[in-house]
Amino acid sequence: MRNVAIISVGYNDRFVAKRPDVNIPEMIQPAVANALKKTKMKHSDIGVVVEGNMPTFEGINYPHLWFSDHIGAAGKPVLRISTGGTTGMSVFHGGYYCVASGMFDVAMVIGWEKHDEGDAQVGLMGIVLPEAFSLFQFGPDMSGGRGGGMGLLGGGGSTGGASFQALSYLAKAKGTPEHIDKMAAQARANAAKNPYAHLQHPNCTAADIAKTPMVSYPLRYGHTCPASCGACVMLLVAEEKVKKFADTDRVAWVKAVATASSDGTTGNLVDGQITDPAEQAICEKIAAPKAYKLAGIQNPKKEIQMCEVYDGFAHQELMWPEKLHLVDNSCKAIDEGRLAIDGEMPVNPSGGVVSTNAIGASAMVRVAEASLQVMGLAEGGHQVPRRVKNAVAHGWGGLFQFVTITILGDEPVKR
Amino acid sequence: MDRKVAIVGYKQTKYSEQNENPRERMTYELVKSLFQDLKITRDDVDTFIISCSDFQDGRTISECYMIPWIGAYMKDVSKVDSDSANAVLYAMMRILSGNYNTALVVSWAMGGSEFRSPRVMEYELDPIYERPGRLINEITAAALQAQAYMAKSKLTEEQLASIAVKNLRNGARNSLALRKKANATEKDVLASRALSLPLRELHAYTPADGACVMLLASEEKAKELTKNPVWIKGVGFCQDTYYLGERDLVKMDSLQKAAKAAYKMAGITDPARKIGVAELSTTYVSQEPIFAEAMGLIPKNSGPAAASKGWMEIEGKIPVNPSGGPQAANPLTVGGLIRIAEASSQLRGEAGEHQVKKAPKLALAHGQIGMAAQHNVVFVLGN
Repeated sequence: MRNVAIISVGYNDRFVAKRPDVNIPEMIQPAVANALKKTKMKHSDIGVVVEGNMPTFEGINYPHLWFSDHIGAAGKPVLRISTGGTTGMSVFHGGYYCVASGMFDVAMVIGWEKHDEGDAQVGLMGIVLPEAFSLFQFGPDMSGGRGGGMGLLGGGGSTGGASFQALSYLAKAKGTPEHIDKMAAQARANAAKNPYAHLQHPNCTAADIAKTPMVSYPLRYGHTCPASCGACVMLLVAEEKVKKFADTDRVAWVKAVATASSDGTTGNLVDGQITDPAEQAICEKIAAPKAYKLAGIQNPKKEIQMCEVYDGFAHQELMWPEKLHLVDNSCKAIDEGRLAIDGEMPVNPSGGVVSTNAIGASAMVRVAEASLQVMGLAEGGHQVPRRVKNAVAHGWGGLFQFVTITILGDEPVKR
Repeated sequence: MDRKVAIVGYKQTKYSEQNENPRERMTYELVKSLFQDLKITRDDVDTFIISCSDFQDGRTISECYMIPWIGAYMKDVSKVDSDSANAVLYAMMRILSGNYNTALVVSWAMGGSEFRSPRVMEYELDPIYERPGRLINEITAAALQAQAYMAKSKLTEEQLASIAVKNLRNGARNSLALRKKANATEKDVLASRALSLPLRELHAYTPADGACVMLLASEEKAKELTKNPVWIKGVGFCQDTYYLGERDLVKMDSLQKAAKAAYKMAGITDPARKIGVAELSTTYVSQEPIFAEAMGLIPKNSGPAAASKGWMEIEGKIPVNPSGGPQAANPLTVGGLIRIAEASSQLRGEAGEHQVKKAPKLALAHGQIGMAAQHNVVFVLGN
């Protein structure tokens, strides 16, 4: 099996709420240029382009056809992948397999979203729209008995399902909503050390977060991600070509990729079953162990120096490191300062998704940020002080039912 | 390629204007029936690659409710948002990496019952200049392409109609087809409703509800699962520039490049002689001679000769779309996967009444998306 390295990361610019000055192709193009700039590669060296975003969010079908020329894809093989919130990492995995398969030596991967050209909440409601409409037709079961009627309506938009997940997580972890305040504050403060992050709040405190309005208990406005515009591009190269193309001594090696899916969290209308979104066996019991095994990592707590997890809501930044076997109890860990940039297990030094969320990019940005940490190239003060030998990047998506994991290291796995 | 990948089994639904089942049961029945044929369970599938479209399904992340129905509960899944031939390509690359031994490709669309596809395809257009103009859509783009070809090759309207007749008659020999007309004539085609001249309804694909599933396997696994593996000998894919006016719609650059890459991988230098049968995603029949030329199956500008001499008939020297192609049934994104299944069926001698007689050794299958096929995938398959 072929080893694959990430040799550069490019963002178009800082992620922001609105970019009225550019259209989608114009927004993405600088990210491609910025990624290429940091290598010894020419655009013609790129063998294949793998791209993705949330298909309906900007109202453009197969957008990769439109920006074909802006990213220099005309005349090249192009593959489009989309998996909800995990899109960015699924796209990265697609690029990884293009190279790992032996079919290509160089892959360019692109994850992006331009939320100012759509409405993210409407887009997300589109996941359950047919079910919601049939409820309105037949009448929801207000008794909340066998039917899942009220539960489903409460699931509208991701905050509904997320608040259920947050409460379930806090009960399991014996944590409180104040722990979520602390985590969100750390995230926004970390983001202030990342020049590309959207919501930057230097020295943000839990008290600042606790002042924000409640959206759906226990989740506050301050716990919730923004809708951002931006693009992330990464260049992946086969082991034999790294010396030729990389412009840095330290590249980030892909040690393992893994993914798993389960059923959607809102359950079904007839039996009222609901898969607890705070359980995440697909991560804890399936994808994470598989990834560590492929990467040859036996003791993640000792061998992994940092992680970037997909936290659309701040409680997820507490939950996922536990599901990834990196932290026993994140509520305790954050009380003890262990999750900070200079802590024992830095979580989301970039500020995470809760500070920057261009959905199609977000899961790829987790890999990008983890790779920057391995390469020692994170700017603005969010580079973790310890040398990062191994890092974990994680994404989730769908109705809390998809999970993707990438493990990076400063050395390739010996095969 | 050190590792070899084979197609070990596949199943298609009968295509219809409205499937009797919703998409969940439709795909469940299909996957179950494939597993029964192969005597496997979902435990034997290492990864699932889905091909579906949020725009076509009318919901966001449309695969998210389908996971348990296709057997992927608690398993490894990804989704390709393009023609389903791209999903086969991705599944193949996953197996080639050595990380997986088997991959199930699943694709569905309710293209017949749920919406008018040319309108949905308009969402592909540049929203700033082209969409508001309402001039360009997949029909007018194909019509421009057809006119360009007819001007260049001198293909007549009668000859263009005869390609449609071929596919309608082939459809009558395909038990799964939606549109079939055993005694179709050029007159029927020329009398059908005009879409955008020279293209008429009977030149166009027939939107359908349907699904297709296919299991790919590594060499070792393939030999355990079937006596008749169909080997993927070569694959190529390529995307053209976007604006129609900047493309040569007859030359089909991206298709030429994709075919070249596939032939190179398969070690083929003379496709016109070596390829025994081709299943092409020709959403409009005008694309048959255009694509066949771009892929080196027939000489340049020989569309007229091919039509009048019947080269592309089932009994001809280079049978194209013996299944009836997209004119027989086209559930949109499922298209490319169906072409691969049909081509495989020809190689296995299992195509029944639409079987090409001269037992082909190599087959070509093609998938595409975009106005006038901007993005193309070409597979070379062998037995």
